[in-house]
Parts: sequence; structure tokens; C-alpha cells
Amino acid sequence: MASKHAREQELASLDSVQPGESRASLLQRLSTWRIGLAGLVGIILVALLPTIYDQIFGFSSGFELHNSVTMIAILAIAALAQNVLTGTAAQPSLGNAAFFGVSAYILTWLVSDLNQPFWVGIIVAVLASAALGIIVGGPALRISGAHLAIATLGLVVIAGALLNLWDTTAGRQNYDLSNIPDFLTDDHALYYFVAAILVIVIFLVYHLLRARVGRAWIALRDDETAAEAFGINLTKYKVQAFVISAALTGLAGALWATWATTASSSMSSLDQTIAFLTMIIVGGLGSISGSILGAIFVGFLPILLGQLPSPLALGSVQLQVSTLTTGVYGLLLLLALIFFPSGLSSLGGIGSNLVRRVNKRGGTQ
Amino acid sequence: MSETATTSLLDIRGLTVRFGGLVAINALDLHISEGEIFALVGPNGAGKTTALNCISGLIKPSAGSIQFAGQELLTQPAYKRAALGIGRTFQHVQLFTSMSVLDNVLTAQHAQLRAGILTGILPFGPSKREDARARAHARETLALLGLTQYAEQPAGTLPFGVQKLVGVARALVLRPRLVLLDEPAAGVPPPEMDELAHKLRAWRDEIGTALLLIEHNMPLVQAVSDRVCVLDYGSKLAEGEPQTVLSDPAVLEAYLGRAASQQMTGQTPTQEVSHAEN
Amino acid sequence: MLAFLQVVIAGLVTGSLYGLLALGIVLIYRTTGVLNFAYGAIAALCTGFCFILITGPHLNFWLALVLTLLFALVIGVILERGFARPVLHTPVFTKAIATLALALVLETIGLAIWPQLASPQHFLTPFEGKALNLHGLYFSAIDLVILVVTALLMLGLHLFLSRTRQGIAMRAMADNLAATRLMGASVGRIFLVVWALSALVAALCGVLLASQQEMVSLQFMDPVLLLAFVGAVLGGLDSLPGALIGGILIGLADNILGFVLAGHTLGPLNISDPGIRETLIFGGFVLVLLFRPQGLWGRALLRRV
Repeated sequence: MASKHAREQELASLDSVQPGESRASLLQRLSTWRIGLAGLVGIILVALLPTIYDQIFGFSSGFELHNSVTMIAILAIAALAQNVLTGTAAQPSLGNAAFFGVSAYILTWLVSDLNQPFWVGIIVAVLASAALGIIVGGPALRISGAHLAIATLGLVVIAGALLNLWDTTAGRQNYDLSNIPDFLTDDHALYYFVAAILVIVIFLVYHLLRARVGRAWIALRDDETAAEAFGINLTKYKVQAFVISAALTGLAGALWATWATTASSSMSSLDQTIAFLTMIIVGGLGSISGSILGAIFVGFLPILLGQLPSPLALGSVQLQVSTLTTGVYGLLLLLALIFFPSGLSSLGGIGSNLVRRVNKRGGTQ
Repeated sequence: MSETATTSLLDIRGLTVRFGGLVAINALDLHISEGEIFALVGPNGAGKTTALNCISGLIKPSAGSIQFAGQELLTQPAYKRAALGIGRTFQHVQLFTSMSVLDNVLTAQHAQLRAGILTGILPFGPSKREDARARAHARETLALLGLTQYAEQPAGTLPFGVQKLVGVARALVLRPRLVLLDEPAAGVPPPEMDELAHKLRAWRDEIGTALLLIEHNMPLVQAVSDRVCVLDYGSKLAEGEPQTVLSDPAVLEAYLGRAASQQMTGQTPTQEVSHAEN
Repeated sequence: MLAFLQVVIAGLVTGSLYGLLALGIVLIYRTTGVLNFAYGAIAALCTGFCFILITGPHLNFWLALVLTLLFALVIGVILERGFARPVLHTPVFTKAIATLALALVLETIGLAIWPQLASPQHFLTPFEGKALNLHGLYFSAIDLVILVVTALLMLGLHLFLSRTRQGIAMRAMADNLAATRLMGASVGRIFLVVWALSALVAALCGVLLASQQEMVSLQFMDPVLLLAFVGAVLGGLDSLPGALIGGILIGLADNILGFVLAGHTLGPLNISDPGIRETLIFGGFVLVLLFRPQGLWGRALLRRV
């Protein structure tokens, strides 16, 4: 076995370019710098977004920052959560909407009815979701595939029905969230709050996917038998995927209730599940950028379509756009899936392939 | 047979596997010593892969015991056996196809790394440090097998022969004491067989690991093994040095087919229909 | 006792409808691997067509029905060529979401052509008001029709799949697509038959449901679809009889639970609430899957080692 000193020398030598080393690996090292740079640019964009956004879209009330961008950021967190579970760890679980709704209700209950501080409410909601994640993850160890998908969908329906029952018994339509801290009632402040959380979540997930845990998830997705042979405890990592996914979705649910100032049982519904799933499929399974793109597609496109003037005059034809928006959305979604079966994030792959090809032509390979 | 001459690494006693009414392995006794190259042969259905899967932990035997370096394996779940020093390759390679070659060999070290979720989310700290060491070690292993040029390529896009080598890299990366090789010669063209035999011996010599091969390819078995065991219908038929076992006409004729057996003993194959080798 | 038997009958009838839908779902799933979430929309579109034929040109119900079934076959072919082909080579999850997208598109097309179907319309059939009374047990005409049609369809499908070349090829395809291709079976033609057939089943189911509820709208299949999926999965997603029985079990559970819980309260909780019933049905479903992950009639999923 090499001594510690020799090993450190080895590591040090890997950091500098060795003579005769291929151009390809130099580019790879540059690419890690590129990612860091991209991250920095991303953060700057996120910070400046409200001002830019208002400049472009300020003309229409439907495009209010509050109504769109903040909501999309929350959806992005939920998409990341779904992607960790279904994209990376390949667990076809459709139960996340249950955590979305239950977490919102727990927050509202603690903050509005029990008058607890908002921060306590969020933390408890997230922890409760994580605990529920274990309960949902358990059955997933025995059930798999389409059966698991429909079974977890059933859990969403159950949760929604129970939340609705609570509402009915308490004599209300939805569960209104009051006692939100003052600074969060301002649109811009709420946006920065949610955006900051999103950036942190992206950061944590990015590193987690490249760490031992992330590799274990990918391994069990690619080949469970081989994964076990190389020391991966399938049960442990599947349950961990469920817990992380549930906690993140719970966070998204609590933020949603804060944004909407209300929790509704439709948060744990088939429609919500479809939204979560669509985001990661359209965006790209297992991809962080895909989760963001998917959230933008699912969150923004309907708003965009809804802003089209109705009736829309195309020459002599009058289109009643308002009734057609769902259809157009469906059609665009269908086209996106047919032309990008691995998700919109594959555009990045096409882009980097182009870069690689250009470099090959110009470099010494 | 004296067991004091070399240390016994793997002790299989009375291993029995039943699938419903079918007895796949019948009270098998097998002993493999440290650093030994041991071949398990026999016709398809003889129980070779089943035996391998029992050692790996993918199949639970109905009876018997498997001791590895003095420790009973059968009480350990499959995922714990890698940490004990057992590596394996798969007949269909079964790489983690969405990962790069380097990441495959990195992931194969999972059992010896310790980072969990809390350390994993940080861009610095013990998780990243141990990963850096493991990556370096993975590169070493790739270099040992001549795979350095493939390190960053997605494992699923490589030619079959290269994939097999990556599978071996995964098996060897933790420098295990025993490597289970499931048909290493499958898909290897005859001209490269000598090279394979040479490589197998080289890996054993460099790492000091024992190899347990399942193989159909008799020339390879003859060239590389220290000892051979012939299985048929789940029971041991013969065991000993390859020269002795494999030139025993009864073994050859009954299980390898008359034409092939005559090939082994240097006679020209007759025109008779040989038993199917598979 | 009589009341309970009545409930059982109602359960069998509703269950048959769920079962029929589940049948169509499993048919497509087994042969093409697609979980068709647009199935309800297809059924609604075809039923809408039937409605238009009855109310527009005032066609005789039976004529309208025949034309609707033909319409369904055409829709099936169009969907196979225009939808199933393009998404054929996408991954499984993508295909599932694509069917959801398809459902949206179909619903919107329906709304555009027949805007009156946005809200429930009265669906007039010759079965209305007719019933049979057997020793106090009340069988409405449509209930009988549903039971008979289901039985005939089940029998017909069974014969088709076990006796005809197309049918056998379909079953082979479900097990191994590559091998079936190599054997010379025209996979394209089989896909066509599968989609056309399942569209037919969907249309039939839609018309039957609309006849029973005496109401049709473009979204009237939505609540039924989810339960049909549950029934299909309960049956194992693997066998057609399993799908039918799964659907019937769900229908029975739904009706019997409704009857048993009606008007009762558990403390402050009104347990006759349909939400509680839903919870119990889904809860039971999850429990069954925990004990038999492959469903009641599904093949056990083995990991190849």
C-alpha cells in the first residue's frame, strides 16, 4: 500500500497538467470551473430577476412576479424532490403530492391555530414530511413498477380525502394561513426568501448526487443486483431517497401555503401529482437543470397561454383561445416529449456535444 | 487433502440449494485456499452459477455453511459481503451504464467509504476527501488494467470486451481476497485467450487475490487454474489439478461430449454426433 | 337482506364498468407497455359522438351505437398512427405522461367541436325507465345490459386471444416483442388492432356508463378512470380476467361500503362521507399489494440472478 506521502504526491500531480496529457481532461477540469461560473451567473440572475421581470412583463397583471416566478421557484423545489426519488433513485413513486398537502396543513395548523412561530411551523412540517416519507418508503420495498405508481397515487387520494374531511368537519373551504411574519407578506421579500431556499436546495442536491449517497442511488437505478454485490444496502438507500424527497416536498408545500396564504386539500390530488411528474419528465429525469426547466414549463406555460387575447383573430378566423389553452398546453407537452424524450435538459447535452466536436476539430487529439 | 499447507480462505460445507422440488446443489463441499486460482466447471444447469450466487448472497441456500476467512457468510446479507473482501464479475457484465467508467470503479468502493447524507451535501469535508482518495485509487486500478483512456466515457457506450474489463476493475478495486469470475472467457475471441490467461495470473500475482472462476472454456481452465472442480447436477464429480481432472476420459466424455474430449486428449474428433456442450 | 342484495347487484354493475375499462387498460399495457391515462378521454369523446348522433340528426339509438363503435375503431387507428407511433421509442415514464397530454388534447378537441358537452347533458336511451322486478329485487334494464355486455365481451376477447392468430400474436408480443418480430408477425398491424380494439371497449364502456347515469359530459369518465386503474392493478396488470375481476371487486367495495357506512358517524366524524369511502378502498388496495405486490393475478416479479 502506498504511503500517505506518496498518495498526497499522487493527488497533487493530478491537479496540474502533465506533459502529454490529453486535451480532453484539461477541458474537463475547466468544465468544473465552468459549472462554478454558471452557478455564480445563475445566482446573479436570480437576484436581478424581479427588476428584469417587471421591465418585461410589467404590463399585465396576470404576470405579476408574485403570481408566477415565486410559484415557479416553489415548484422547482418540488420538482427537485421528485427527481431525486424518481429520476436518480428510479423509484416510481407518485406519492409526493401527499407530503405537499400534509405539510401545508401542518404549517397552517401550527401557525394559525396553535399560534406557534412561523419558523417552528416550517421545521416541524418538513420533519413530519420526512417521517411520513419513511412510512411511504416502506411499502415501496415490496411493491415496484407500475403497481407502486398506482399504489402511491392511492396514498395521495387518501391524504387529499382526509385533509378535505378535516376541512369539512371544521366547516371551512380551505385552511387559511394567518400569522405569517410581516416581511413575508411583501411580494419581493417572499420572492427573495423562496429563491434563496431554492438556491440552497440546488446546492445541497448537486453535491449529494455527486457524493457516495448519490452514486448509490444511481447504481441501484442502473442495476440493483450489481449494486448489492458492491456493498450497497438497497433498503437503506431506497428509504433515504424517500425521506429526502418527502422532506423537500414538504418544504415546497409549506412554502406554497405561505405564498398562497392558504392550504387546500387539492394540494394532495391527482392533478398535483401529474404536475410533479410532468415537470421531471419534460425537464429530464435525474437532472437538476431539468427540474428547473420542467418547473418553468409546467408553471409558466399555462400562465403564458392564459394571457393570449381571447378571441384571437388570425386573419378571418376567430379562435376562442380561452377554451383552447389546455389543449395547446397538452399539444406542446406532447411535442416536447416526442422531440426530447430524455427531457429538455438534453439540450445541454446537445450543446456540450457541439462544443466537444468543435474542440476536437481545433485541438490536438 | 492437507489443509495446513496453504491457508483455507473459502470453506463450503454441505451446501444444498433447492428450487421447489428441484435440487440445484446437493451437499457440496468446496475449499479454496488463499491466492489460489480455482475453476468450477460442468455442463449448464450443473449449479455453478447458483453456487457463485450463494457466495455472493443473491441466493439463500436451503442448507450448509459457507465460511470465508473463518467467518460464516450465510448470516450476512448480500450487501455486506463486499466489505468482507469478496468481489465479483457478472456473466452479462452489468455495469452501471449511466455512469462513467471511473465512476463505476469509484462506486464499487462503496463498502469501504463511509460518507452519508449529512457529509454528502457539503462541497468540502470528509466526504469529498475520501472520494478524492477513492477516485485516485480507481484511476490506479484502471491503469492496472489498461483502461485509463476510457475513464471518462459512459460505461454503456463501450465495446463488450472493454466493458468486461471494467467489470473486472470493479471487482478488483477493493483488492479483495477472493474474486468470483462468472465466465470471464465469454465473448473473448480465441486469439485473445492466451492473453486472458496471462492477465488472470497477473492479477492474482499482483493483488494476491484468490480467483474462483466459472468457465466453459476448457483450454483457458487448463492454462490458468491451480485446481478444478467438476460439477454435475449439483454434485461434485471430480476435483483436483486440471491436468488430471480434465484428461480423465470419463469426466470428459460424459460432460464435455465425445468430440471435445478427443480434442483435449489430442485425438482427432470423430464424425459422431457429440453431446451438446451447452 | 334484500337491500343488501340490491347493493351487491349495484356493485356488480358498477364493477363491470370498472372492469371493462380495466380490460382496455390492461390490453394496451400488456401489448405496448403504455399506461393509457387518456383512456377516459377516448371513452368520453366516443360517447360524445353518440350523444351528438342521437340529439342532432335524431338517429335511432342502436344505429347511433353502431356508428359510434365504428367511430371508435377509426379513433383507435388514428391514435395508433398519430400518437402511439411517435412515442413508441420513448422511455416508459415519458409514454405515461404523453398519454396525459393526449387526454388534454382530446378533451379540448371535444370541447371545440361540441361545446355543449362542457356541462352534463341528458343522455337519452331506450333503456330509460325500464326495469325488471324479481321477487323484490330490482334490475333496471341498463343494469342487465351492462352485465350481459360485459360477459359477452369477456368471452369474445378470450376467444379472440386464444383462438385467432392475431390474438395469439398479441399475447406473444406482450411477453417478448423482439421474438415476436423475428417470428414474422407484423407488429405494426398488431399495434393497430390493439389500439382499435381498446378504443372499441372504451366507447362501449362510455356509452354504457352514460346510459346508466343518464348523463354525459366530456369529463364524465374522470372519476371512473382512477378506480379502473386501481382495479387493473389489483388484478395484476397482467391478465385480462384479472383486470375484470379487479374492477368488479372495486365496484363491489365501493357500493357495499357506501351502503354500510351510510348515515353513520364516528364521534364528530361523518363516516358516510365519500372521502372516507375512498380512503378505505385505497387503503384496502394498498394492503392487498403489500401482501401480494404483483396483484391478485399478476405474475410474480422475479429478479434475474
